[in-house]
Amino acid sequence: MAYLTQPDYVKYACSCGQIKPITSLYFCRHCLQIRCGFCICHEVDSHYCANCLENMPSSEARLKKNRCSSCFDCPSCFHTLSTRATLAQPRQTPEQGSGDSKVENKQAKKMYYLSCFNCRWTSRDVGIPDQPVASGGWPERVNPNATRINQLLDYYKAIAQQEKQEKLDRERKKFAIRGKYITLTDKTGLTGAMARNIAGLPSSESTMSAIANFVPSEASADVEELSEDFYTKELNLNQITSMPQRLAAPEWQPSSVSRLYPIAKLLSVKRSQRCRACDHNLTKPEYNPGSIKFKIELLAFYHVPEVKIISYEPMKPGCTSALLLKLTNPTGHEMQVRLLQPEEVPDTEDRLEEPKSLEKSLEKSLNLEKDNLWYETVQRKADVTATCRVVTPDVTLTLAQRDDAAEYDDDATHDANDIILWRKSNKLALRLQVRCGEEVEAGSAAEAALTLQYRYRNTVPAPHEPRDHTLHATLMLQLGHVSG
Amino acid sequence: MALYEGIALIQEKQAVVLDLGTDYTKFGFTGEAAPRCIVRSEFWCQAERRYKRLYDYRTPQELYDNLVHMLHLLYFRHVLVNPKERRVVVVESLLTPTLFRETLAKVLFIHYEVSGALWVDSGRASALTLAAPVVLVVSIGARDAEVTAVVHGCPVLRALQSQPLGARAVNAELARLLDEDNGRELHLSDDVLDDIKVRACFVPGREAALRWAERGVPADVRETRRGADVLVSRRARALAAEPLFARDHDLASLPDIVLQCIMQCPIDARRSLAGSVLVTGGGAALPGLRARLAQELRHLADQPPYKERLRELEFKFHSAPAHENSVAWVGGALCGAACAGGGAGAGAGAGAGGEGRGVSRETYARTRRLRDWACLLHNTPPSHPHWDMQ
Repeated sequence: MAYLTQPDYVKYACSCGQIKPITSLYFCRHCLQIRCGFCICHEVDSHYCANCLENMPSSEARLKKNRCSSCFDCPSCFHTLSTRATLAQPRQTPEQGSGDSKVENKQAKKMYYLSCFNCRWTSRDVGIPDQPVASGGWPERVNPNATRINQLLDYYKAIAQQEKQEKLDRERKKFAIRGKYITLTDKTGLTGAMARNIAGLPSSESTMSAIANFVPSEASADVEELSEDFYTKELNLNQITSMPQRLAAPEWQPSSVSRLYPIAKLLSVKRSQRCRACDHNLTKPEYNPGSIKFKIELLAFYHVPEVKIISYEPMKPGCTSALLLKLTNPTGHEMQVRLLQPEEVPDTEDRLEEPKSLEKSLEKSLNLEKDNLWYETVQRKADVTATCRVVTPDVTLTLAQRDDAAEYDDDATHDANDIILWRKSNKLALRLQVRCGEEVEAGSAAEAALTLQYRYRNTVPAPHEPRDHTLHATLMLQLGHVSG
Repeated sequence: MALYEGIALIQEKQAVVLDLGTDYTKFGFTGEAAPRCIVRSEFWCQAERRYKRLYDYRTPQELYDNLVHMLHLLYFRHVLVNPKERRVVVVESLLTPTLFRETLAKVLFIHYEVSGALWVDSGRASALTLAAPVVLVVSIGARDAEVTAVVHGCPVLRALQSQPLGARAVNAELARLLDEDNGRELHLSDDVLDDIKVRACFVPGREAALRWAERGVPADVRETRRGADVLVSRRARALAAEPLFARDHDLASLPDIVLQCIMQCPIDARRSLAGSVLVTGGGAALPGLRARLAQELRHLADQPPYKERLRELEFKFHSAPAHENSVAWVGGALCGAACAGGGAGAGAGAGAGGEGRGVSRETYARTRRLRDWACLLHNTPPSHPHWDMQ
């Protein structure tokens, strides 16, 4: 159960020890483990512009610095800018009558400018000339420091090159065999130059010149004094940019509003997610930016029984209260569910050993090094210490498979007993008892931990492996506050 | 040209440069003139449903989580590249806590599986942007002001100075002045204070500051700030940065620590250090701060504690080819680009120091250890018996 604005009342423990609502969990069908955004590997899949929904190949995105070429953001309020069209008046007719000028100017040209519908900023405010084409063609600015940075780069690269060369020379000197053939050419450096030429490296002369021609920064004694305006003039806040406005353009960081320029819109990425343990994809989005569907979508929501809280009695220290839960089976197969205490779950290691086929173990040993590196450093034990304890009945409940047609059946089947409240297609309502600890302080958050043991049918075609697995999901229930 | 670039990029992915500041994080690619993004060092924490600051941690585990979330935001929202198999240049202060460095290394190598990382200290990185042999880097960050003397690519650790005279000190003073102006406790949030500071505050020259301290600021001009309903007087605007220059018996003001740093440096480097000062850091972007610092330095150098030991210093100032808040980042970007050809371990010439500090993923997997100047082990030669005891 997860809400946008309310706290998450039911949270599941991920295999990495994080506790999250079911909507932000994944389920790896190959490891049969719950995974979350923390313990999986994210990858950039494709770049697209969120405004024009245009796909951009990653090489092009890199060249364009991850910016869309046709969409712009307002530099003042960061809303998307819209392109407005106007009819430009031909310049040679300044004394046209205002009323019927449109009729007379047949050759009136359409000109475009950018405007923000939110804060009314326009590209005309800062003196950017109108463009004759609707998209693109806006003047590009270069970083004023770019040339200096490039000089510095060349200089340092040359130095690094030279250092490498010196190191090589030193090593060569150590093991130099003064043979009879190499003397002349080596001395003139011809072979060296040839080798460089073939390898496409800059010749040593150019590195020398890069070093020789470089001028280091000169310090100057006079510092730019604070201008008199600060003492004498009144401050006009409308003329000075705020910090977010400055940082939106890290290259320029304009301090005055008149230097704000449209910001090319930053691209977004579609991500695919991969299980760290088995390297299988957990989600893979469709390539088309307009589509919100996935090619692969292994969400826990589709594989793990979902628990919702229907209602509960207020918790009191040392007392037992009733708790009504709803279980849903999201899979297409019938599911047996048992309720356990979290500490009754067999250790993870034992469960991992379960599939003992040869390929599996081989695969595992290949991946071993990598897996362990992450898991041994990061994996934690989920913190499921709770103030309250759900009294778990020793029954096995059967949840029917999900059947979309059954949604239209109204009547709940009445095989209710003292645990099952009602049953309806793949849903089941339970009446449970929660025991609150004696020494729990009034006013503290009431939490209860519960483990679901469920039979899961793996639909991944694997010939000689058991199709049915017994899996566990530990969850935390938020049951309000302990009353006094 | 584009084709060649493509080939080069296939061979080795362009490394990223990471500067995790207290308030703002700078992130971008090596070899570029400015970071791709400068964002607040905070992220949306889903579990707590609030923005959480990166440096807001109590346990190592919490720090690990913070770093994972922050880097996820940077990689997938702002820079849009795969962190996997890509090198990282980390720009950090020399005084970064060991826990933070080690945790960051863990996150980078194990969680994001970067292929290598290079640690560059901010002092040296800032000096790299100038390519001058001797630089005195005065870096005014969010929390601390640090003064590092970089002599021929080597920071003089003995003379390293740090005082809590960063943007926070200015903010605190501004809040106090605003409370006085408005006659009530305002409890302004940090971003409102930041906004007022950025848009309204300035640092007056030395004479003006002295005059105003004596006779009060001509407070007839009053500006209001819409939105927060706060009166901002000229007094608040002008005097907010005064704590940086306020001297007491500890001699811990900004000009004092600069002079102390020079004083603790080798005697033959002092003159050239004074002649090559670089003021960086986001806090240094306040209008008039550099001029005021220059005036204060020239004034103080003639005063008793320094007069005997520092003679005839001539203070000269550099201007870096980048905005104040990203100077160290640009240095890191230069260093990363220069090292790119020679693998993670190669040094970047005189400016970047003789030996590289890069760590590759394999090296890290073998020994989970970062070089650190504060660690005795890393200050001993490789043949020293210390290494055997490891």
